[in-house]
Amino acid sequence: MALSLQKGGNLSLSKTDPSLTKILVGLGWDERTTDGSSFDLDASAFLLTAGDKVRNDSDFIFYNQLKSPDGSVEHAGDNRTGQGDGDDESVKVDLSKVPAEITKIAFTVTIHDAEARRQNFGQVGNAFIRVVNDLTGTEIVRYDLAEDYSTETAMIFGELYRHNSEWKFRAVGQGYSGGLKAMCDQFGIKIG
Amino acid sequence: MSITQLVAGGNCAVPKESLTVEVQLTPTQLNGVDVDISAFVLASNGKVRGDEGMVFYGQPSPGNGSVALMGNTAGQATFKVNLPTLDAVTEKIAFTATIHENRQNFGAFQSLKVTVKTANTTVLEANINTGSMIESALILGELYLRQGQWKFRSVAQGFAGGLQPLAEHFGIEVSSPTPSPAPAPAPAPAPAPAPKKPISLSKITLDKSRPTVSLEKKTEGFGEIRVNLNWNRAATPPKTGGLLGGLFGGNSNGRVDLDVGCLYEQADGSISAIQALGNRFGSFHSEPYIELKGDDRTGAISEGEWLHINGQQWQKFRRILIYAFIYEGAPNWAQTDGVVTIYVPNEAPLEIRLTEGSNNLGMCAIVLLENDRGTLKVNREVRYFNGHQELDKAYHWGLNWRAGSK
Repeated sequence: MALSLQKGGNLSLSKTDPSLTKILVGLGWDERTTDGSSFDLDASAFLLTAGDKVRNDSDFIFYNQLKSPDGSVEHAGDNRTGQGDGDDESVKVDLSKVPAEITKIAFTVTIHDAEARRQNFGQVGNAFIRVVNDLTGTEIVRYDLAEDYSTETAMIFGELYRHNSEWKFRAVGQGYSGGLKAMCDQFGIKIG
Repeated sequence: MSITQLVAGGNCAVPKESLTVEVQLTPTQLNGVDVDISAFVLASNGKVRGDEGMVFYGQPSPGNGSVALMGNTAGQATFKVNLPTLDAVTEKIAFTATIHENRQNFGAFQSLKVTVKTANTTVLEANINTGSMIESALILGELYLRQGQWKFRSVAQGFAGGLQPLAEHFGIEVSSPTPSPAPAPAPAPAPAPAPKKPISLSKITLDKSRPTVSLEKKTEGFGEIRVNLNWNRAATPPKTGGLLGGLFGGNSNGRVDLDVGCLYEQADGSISAIQALGNRFGSFHSEPYIELKGDDRTGAISEGEWLHINGQQWQKFRRILIYAFIYEGAPNWAQTDGVVTIYVPNEAPLEIRLTEGSNNLGMCAIVLLENDRGTLKVNREVRYFNGHQELDKAYHWGLNWRAGSK
């Protein structure tokens, strides 16, 4: 059974699921049924070196850049409304293809245009983000954003990181304001 | 302990107890805008299971009464939600505000506040800034069950299209609103169970622009006609009594005791009055076929006062004048926010607000019911008088009045 994490929870993936080589980060929410701007949540990934910064812009995987050059991280595309069941957006990581100098991959979820639309996670029906073992389909960890991050608009969900020869996962659950731009600033991406 | 303040989207846990949910609009009233506050009792799929899932002015305490609308005056409503007695299928209760007939949107108001209380403490407040909203129907917030814990979330989302899309959102089938107060002509066989029809959300407000409706003659009569007088019991805080006076509102200082009553004239010309003053409570099943259901001296029974008229016997009546008078307390009609609602079976509720009050006159003739060849004609009066005698004279009733008390 998947672990449901509260804010700031911690988890070692390798202990939970040692067979892990491919993971899927899934983001889901319900389509808006009330009037007003759609809820558009975005999942993104940042490939980071030892200094917790990207090497260059190609290490930022998001709706306008769906794949890393080495093929290790791939975004399945942007869902702009949350229509449909299950994961509305997903990012897949093949751990075997991650370049050696990348020591960490951070995953974020943000609400597109949150400030102008005056939205937060709590207003989005059933918003969640989760980590799944992509080979077995087993869910490893999940955050219910609408419950535990209800007043946030952006968060670093978690990070995969190298520890000795293996990968571990740390659930971060740190909320931010300022949306995707704040995340980019944090990881060294310059927004033009 | 500090009170949790919720922003839109925020949530917090509430104890599984009997809760009071208060909704307060600011400003409480705008000219020509009538706001209805309702609750929807929902299953896990977010839908009602039937019409009894809607708690509103036309149906204030459906089902087993675990969710009940206790008070509803201009810009303010109070619900009792008894979480322990809710049936197990209920997983969510949504509280909503809608603008009657879509005449405005909530941008015309400043804010809406939801307060959730237990018997002795305030759990949370959710302030919703409505200033720029285009919606005319809002889901204010919801009590919901999550992993065995009851929580409250401030929602602050809604619909520009008003009540209809809101009700449909919760799975309620809405009958199209009646364009005019035309009576329902179909004479149904007397005791047959009412056919299942979509819940009627329409309500007819009698105001200056539309003071009269006529309900067509029915062979079986009009059934039990229920007349409710309600008023804002939070009104008239004692200006001189200070803070403690306001907290211990039990003393009569500053409180208004509003009484409902009526004058009636029967087909044979006999005349009399029904009111608590003088202990003239009448009777529903025998002469005079009008009964006053108890007297709410404190205003603590937040349903207000009820007068029941036996509509089966409508042919026995010529006219009935329903009035309210201030038995105790200074006349302050503006703050008292009185509202009379007349419920006739199978008809949309008729609402008359006691507006344009005259603050030095203690008596208000509210509505005149007339038997016009079997038709029930309802005419809004809202005229103010200095006591029974003056009112009687103005309407040429002809009773002799003496001072009394109860």
